[in-house]
Amino acid sequence: MLHNTISPPLSNDAPVVLEMSHVSKSFGAVTALVDVSVKLRKGEVLALVGDNGAGKSTLIKVLSGYHKPDAGTITSKGRPVRFQSPRDARAEGIETVYQDLALIGDLSIYHNMFIGREYHKRVLGMRMLDNDRMRGMAEEYLSTLGINIPNVNSTVDRLSGGQRQCVAVARSIYSSPSVLILDEPLAALGVRESAHVLGLVQKLRREREVSIILIVHNYSQIFEVCDRINFLHSGEIVLDAATSDITEEELTRTVKSGLGRLLRPEERAVPMAATP
Amino acid sequence: MGIVSNIKNNPGRLMSGNGKRSVGFHTPTTPVEKILALLSRYREASILVVAILLVIYFQIGSDGQFLTSQFLSVVLRDTGRLGLIAIAEVMLMITGEIDLSVSSVFSFAPYAMVLMANSLGVPLVLAAIISLVMGVLVGVLNGVVTVRFRVPSLITTVGTLFLFQGLVVWINDSQPIVAPIQEPFNAFFGQNLFQPNDSLLSWHSVTAFTPFLWTLAAVVIIALVLNRTTFGLHTIATGSNIVGAREIGVRTDRIKIYNFMLAGGLAAFAGIINTVQFSSADPQAGSPFLTLQAIAAAVIGGTSLLGGSGTVVGALIGAFVVATLNNGLVMVGAQATVSDIYLGAAILGAMILNVQVNRLRARRRI
Ligand SMILES: Nc1ncnc2c1ncn2[C@@H]1O[C@H](COP(=O)(O)OP(=O)(O)O)[C@@H](O)[C@H]1O
Ligand SMILES: [Mg+2]
Repeated sequence: MLHNTISPPLSNDAPVVLEMSHVSKSFGAVTALVDVSVKLRKGEVLALVGDNGAGKSTLIKVLSGYHKPDAGTITSKGRPVRFQSPRDARAEGIETVYQDLALIGDLSIYHNMFIGREYHKRVLGMRMLDNDRMRGMAEEYLSTLGINIPNVNSTVDRLSGGQRQCVAVARSIYSSPSVLILDEPLAALGVRESAHVLGLVQKLRREREVSIILIVHNYSQIFEVCDRINFLHSGEIVLDAATSDITEEELTRTVKSGLGRLLRPEERAVPMAATP
Repeated sequence: MGIVSNIKNNPGRLMSGNGKRSVGFHTPTTPVEKILALLSRYREASILVVAILLVIYFQIGSDGQFLTSQFLSVVLRDTGRLGLIAIAEVMLMITGEIDLSVSSVFSFAPYAMVLMANSLGVPLVLAAIISLVMGVLVGVLNGVVTVRFRVPSLITTVGTLFLFQGLVVWINDSQPIVAPIQEPFNAFFGQNLFQPNDSLLSWHSVTAFTPFLWTLAAVVIIALVLNRTTFGLHTIATGSNIVGAREIGVRTDRIKIYNFMLAGGLAAFAGIINTVQFSSADPQAGSPFLTLQAIAAAVIGGTSLLGGSGTVVGALIGAFVVATLNNGLVMVGAQATVSDIYLGAAILGAMILNVQVNRLRARRRI
């Protein structure tokens, strides 16, 4: 299995491929992000952790061009960018698997694979979809990935939750992105499929130096595949640490403490219940 | 890698690896299941059956008067008019919107065309193009108000319905005006030159069916656009899952506006053909009833009001069913108003059938 291979620790001077600086975002009265800065280096797997409602999905939707930030900037490969739509982010090589997967239930699997990146052919001078080509490519690609799909012609609303997640992941890596954002990609997957997707993540990072942002709730999975952890609490980044500098237990206690900050050494030593 | 797929070697088996058979796709066995499977696979199938049964019924009930070119040219003329508006509604309903203002464009556009021709001396062809553009602009207004100002299209288009219906009545004191005849424009767009003793293989018999032939062409084009172009794909995506479509980069606002524009253009086109057919522009030519009949045609043809799926071919057959009911019942001696009772029952029946077939599909996965 791929993810058992230990990757060399990432050097701190790898170039930053995607960065958000001082980003804030509110929805009416709800403040989702407050002055958030995140750096993603080339070939790095960054874990984003935090409670439900902490703002993780909002953060990645700003990076993916779905939300426009109220304040702050985004820099991609050293250039400031303003994404008007996820279309722009995709053109920049940033692919996202959203928490809701963004699959179109009424469309076939292969149309879902290629939506926004359709192949065309000329019929009597008109630009028509090249369905045969997309069907064939989707079939081939899904089978090389080892993803288990009945028939690429069937509509997505006939698939199970796990199959849908696989299609969404396959779509996101098909175009060889330079940045891959995965928002809870393992939620509906079984043990085997989770291992499979995590294996893919490691393979992409190792073989193609893809930079990855991963939102996962299972900490052992984080320590297995991630280089760095950013902990988001009520819309603020309160912890930014390399996985080599923090233990799984420390992270668990920090998150559980609800303090929204890393515990001080003396706090770590004392059991929570005994704190005066 | 853990899971190996063998789709290609083993097309019959749906799950691979562990040898378990997928529960997803149940093969229908009993005749009832087969029929339901067919109905759910081809949404047009049920309405086609209804259409054929109606034709047989009226053909027998009228002593063979239904299937004559004379009578069919009337039924197909109505089918054409309704069909153009129905396919416009299909596209909008797929995106999850609706347009109730089409009847006002149906009155407004040809009225403007005839006014331009009569008082400014604009050639009919040019006047027709200008009024088509006006119809498209009404669509822009509907679309922009709906997507930018977030007014539900049901309300937006009731507003523009009254606005443009009011305008066209006001322009000339609600007077119908006689439309000029300029050949070949008129012959091309629906003036009926067919005489009872003309040969069926003559040009005159083609003109008897021009409104329908134009609609048929529009149906073919829109069906291709819907099923074979990126625009069609994005139209379905917009109505099926608008958040997901946006997340993946579909410009859902634009897609909606374009479909409103298409609806405005098609309504104007239908109005122009109607005016040419009757050689008169009537400010009251389109009533909201026309829109409702077109929506009925779309719905009984198999288009979902929930967005994400629809069929223009089904809508055309639906329009034929509505036109057949309207004209056929009169022909077999019923009162004109009785057809509404049947139409109402047909809509309810079709909706119940649609919902049931969908539920069956979800449960049994036929
Ligand atoms: N589109 C939206 N409209 C209004 N509020 C939103 C929207 N998206 C997220 N929020 C709010 O922003 C906060 C952060 O949500 P989210 O980013 O989804 O958190 P997480 O992914 O960490 O669970 C929550 O309070 C949520 O209710
Ligand atoms: Mg989330």
